[in-house]
Amino acid sequence: MKFLSIILLVLLPAIGSIILFGPWFPHNEVKIRRFAKGWAGLVFLYSLLFVVFFNPAQAGFQFEQVLKSPGGKAWIQPLGINFAFSIDGISLPLIVLTTFLVLLALIASKYNITKRHKLYYALIFVLETAILGVFAAKDLFVFFLFWEIELIPMYFLISIWGSGRKEYSAMKFILYTFIGSIFMLASILAIYFYHYIYTGVLTFDLGVYTSLKSYSYPLMFSILTFWGFFIAFAVKIPVVPFHTWLPDAHVDAPTPISMLLAGILLKMGGYGLIRMNMQILPEAIKVLAPILIIMGVINIIYTACIALVQEDLKKLIAYSSISHMGIVLLGIGALNAAGVSGALFQMIAHGIISAGLFMIVGVIYLRTHTRNISVLGGLGQNSPRFMWFSLTIVLASVGLPLLIGFAAETLAFYGAFTSTVFNSFSLFGWYIPVSIQVLTAIGIFGIILTAAYLLWMFQKVFYGNILNKWKSFHDVTPHEVAVLLSLILVIVVFGFYPQGLAKIFTPTVNNIVNII
Amino acid sequence: MNLLFDIANVLLPEAFLSILIILCIILTFVLKEENQNLVFAAALTGLILTLFSFIFIPFSQENQALYGNFVSNSFTIIFRILILIGTILTVMLSRRYTSNFSNSIGEFYTLILIATLGGMLLTGANDLIMLFVAIETLSISSFALCGYTKLDKLSNEAALKYLIIGAASTAVMLYGFSFLYGITGQTNIADIIKVLPNYQPSIVLILSFLFILAGFGYKLSAVPFHVWAPDVYQGAPIPVAAYLSVVSKIAGFAALTRFMTLIYSDISIFTVAIAVIAVLTMTVGNLMALGQKNIRRLMAYSSIAQAGYVLLGLSVLTIEGVSGIIFYLIAYLFMNFGTWAAIQIFATETGMDSIDDYNGLAYKNKYFSLCLAICLLSLAGIPFTSGFFAKFYLFKAIAFAGLNYMPLLIIALVNTVLGVFYYVKVIRAMYVRTNNGTAKQNGKLKISLSLQSVLVVTVLTTLLIGVFAGSFIDISKFAAKSITINKKSPVESFSDISSFIR
Repeated sequence: MKFLSIILLVLLPAIGSIILFGPWFPHNEVKIRRFAKGWAGLVFLYSLLFVVFFNPAQAGFQFEQVLKSPGGKAWIQPLGINFAFSIDGISLPLIVLTTFLVLLALIASKYNITKRHKLYYALIFVLETAILGVFAAKDLFVFFLFWEIELIPMYFLISIWGSGRKEYSAMKFILYTFIGSIFMLASILAIYFYHYIYTGVLTFDLGVYTSLKSYSYPLMFSILTFWGFFIAFAVKIPVVPFHTWLPDAHVDAPTPISMLLAGILLKMGGYGLIRMNMQILPEAIKVLAPILIIMGVINIIYTACIALVQEDLKKLIAYSSISHMGIVLLGIGALNAAGVSGALFQMIAHGIISAGLFMIVGVIYLRTHTRNISVLGGLGQNSPRFMWFSLTIVLASVGLPLLIGFAAETLAFYGAFTSTVFNSFSLFGWYIPVSIQVLTAIGIFGIILTAAYLLWMFQKVFYGNILNKWKSFHDVTPHEVAVLLSLILVIVVFGFYPQGLAKIFTPTVNNIVNII
Repeated sequence: MNLLFDIANVLLPEAFLSILIILCIILTFVLKEENQNLVFAAALTGLILTLFSFIFIPFSQENQALYGNFVSNSFTIIFRILILIGTILTVMLSRRYTSNFSNSIGEFYTLILIATLGGMLLTGANDLIMLFVAIETLSISSFALCGYTKLDKLSNEAALKYLIIGAASTAVMLYGFSFLYGITGQTNIADIIKVLPNYQPSIVLILSFLFILAGFGYKLSAVPFHVWAPDVYQGAPIPVAAYLSVVSKIAGFAALTRFMTLIYSDISIFTVAIAVIAVLTMTVGNLMALGQKNIRRLMAYSSIAQAGYVLLGLSVLTIEGVSGIIFYLIAYLFMNFGTWAAIQIFATETGMDSIDDYNGLAYKNKYFSLCLAICLLSLAGIPFTSGFFAKFYLFKAIAFAGLNYMPLLIIALVNTVLGVFYYVKVIRAMYVRTNNGTAKQNGKLKISLSLQSVLVVTVLTTLLIGVFAGSFIDISKFAAKSITINKKSPVESFSDISSFIR
């Protein structure tokens, strides 16, 4: 399989961005959009090839590729940095999710983006490269590099094409993420230094750090490093005290960017949590898993309660998005195969569903220019097709059986319910009368809250008699149908056949859990 | 004979530069006013020739000249090369600027060359007297350069401020030298090192250190001694401001690094003092930069903050730290110069330097804005630019100095967040905001060839270092090896650190 170059996959969007941005490309809006869609489709198809040739039975990294100079030197030899990429069962679904959602976001951009097309599509491709780089990196340094790069296109995408307090929101986004990532950098340097002391080798290779090491970290060191990583990922997921940037960013970002933000960018946090905190620092996560579970439950319930009282459609979806990411945290905290698989499944499910929800909001906003739930109503009368699409996605988000959300949530909650992490949990020697079962039950209560606010929202917006001022509300256009239908297709396919997705990451997850 | 040998082996570039200075002075007097631009051509070709003359200097061995007053090794050579490159860029930056004044174009270039000679001698000065002479040569030419636009009120203010504070701090530094002389009875640094271990550390040694640090701190605009910087950077001609913020600082860092590693590395209180100044410098610089409206004042505070990061590399006092400093300064030279070049281009076209004047610049000037944005992102430390690797390599050196330097690392990292905030502000003005249509920057900027080439060279080098950082790190490692750190008990031994961690 020589033709499957993972470096090419990562750099392909960036090449597209250069082709688009250069002076040779005509300033014709239609041509730009057509090229962008074509290129994103190409990247998506190329990433599908990796699925075809991926060996699901094998745990660990596949398709590894390292860029070397002609002399056989690493990229930055004096520091032991390799431009190395690889895919395993955890990153493959996320990579395909990325290429898929970027393609859909580009299709959805037709009506939402009305100025500076060249820059917009070029930036989206830079963003795609950055995210693919994060998911595919097999080098801690390269991971960090792409993690930082992702800030720049996102900043511009929110602040130029956004609405409302866009500059404030974009700046908030960039500062929150940057503050998180400096703690990650400190942690990376710490484990890099530690490895150097014990082996005398300078390396950032993820394969070295994630496999069994010949030394073990002292508990205090391990816990501090854990928090360093955790802050970076908690800002991205987002975990409750660090979540305030997300509603702002979502409300002010244009629809396609909201789709990408909720669909892919939040997954970087969950991915990092599994990859770094779980694989590199198993000692620490064993001690701190109860805290992760408690934080996850708080995430689910607290943000669901906030979502209940939202008047703004987009804010409601944003908070629901945070609430659903809490399930990811809960699943990871369970530390067993079911929990981690559930977390991964939930990441994919949430990526698809939240992108769909934001698309729905975008469609409504485009026609009515309002996101206020109380002034909307009866839209279903004018747009039956749109209502059915929306209903499917909303029900998937609520967790209806045979749709993708159900499989994910069941797995995660099952994992948490049977988890043993609380068995040895005590605080300063005091026995804490808290059981994992009770906590999980509280978490499951979040699904009821989700049903409450989403169905209430759906009823307010689509049911009833249509208001006079929305008489001109028209049904979905072919572009929107394409986006919504392809999302629904994924929702239904993996809802009926979750094994198809689980098959890819199960061996890797089992491997990770066994190490812990 | 001895002098000739010295020149051939050690001081060849300096000799070239001296000849060039004399030539420029003669040309300035001989040429008519309309032909004065020939001085520019002479200075530029001369400087490039001087740069090539480094080929003939033995790179990997240590040589002394002028009876031990000047040392040439890979460390000083790399700094002299950096200073020369900075000067070449300054001269090219001045081409368009000097064409605005009717007379005395030649003197401008001559003064820059004299200052450069001072800076190059400063890097390798191995004698207290030599050091003082070099630093004064650099300073006095800079005073004159700051006030070059005679009729501009701000420029006059800048020159006066720089002169008064400069004179005061060099005097303090000289006082510090006198203490050092009093303790050891020697002026040559090599002799001082030999005598100093016999001397019991006392308040006099600490005083000498603090006074000398004050002198260097003024050159580097480190924090308690930084107050001149914003006013001078705002008032002085832009090429001069660029020169002060880059070349003058690089020379100062070279001298301070040699001083610290050779004389004051023994007692931990000195490194603590450096660390405190580093933390203050970057924090104050970054915090003050947050609220700036004028881009030149912003760049002043930014360069104060950047000096803070470099000082951090000095505070760990390891070879790693020194090579971190060298690599940081290589990156800093290009990214900072690129930014100043962009400011100069914008100012010559529109005569404005407020950040709000940059609003909507990217609409008409796509590539110019991209260049400025890359330089600013590099200063902020965003990946695939030189600034990212410079910061990363420096922070790695701090992390490797031991876990007790972790608080310093965290402070530095938090500071980079502040940095991102204000650099992005300028980029936001260019790309996100729209101008109100009244301003002159509506049209496309016309950029002269020399300015264009400065901008392109600096931006390309910034990107080049950002992608192929490995070889530059190798160079700085090689250069740092020639520095000897006179520590009695080396902290960075293998067993020492690992026992500390356990």
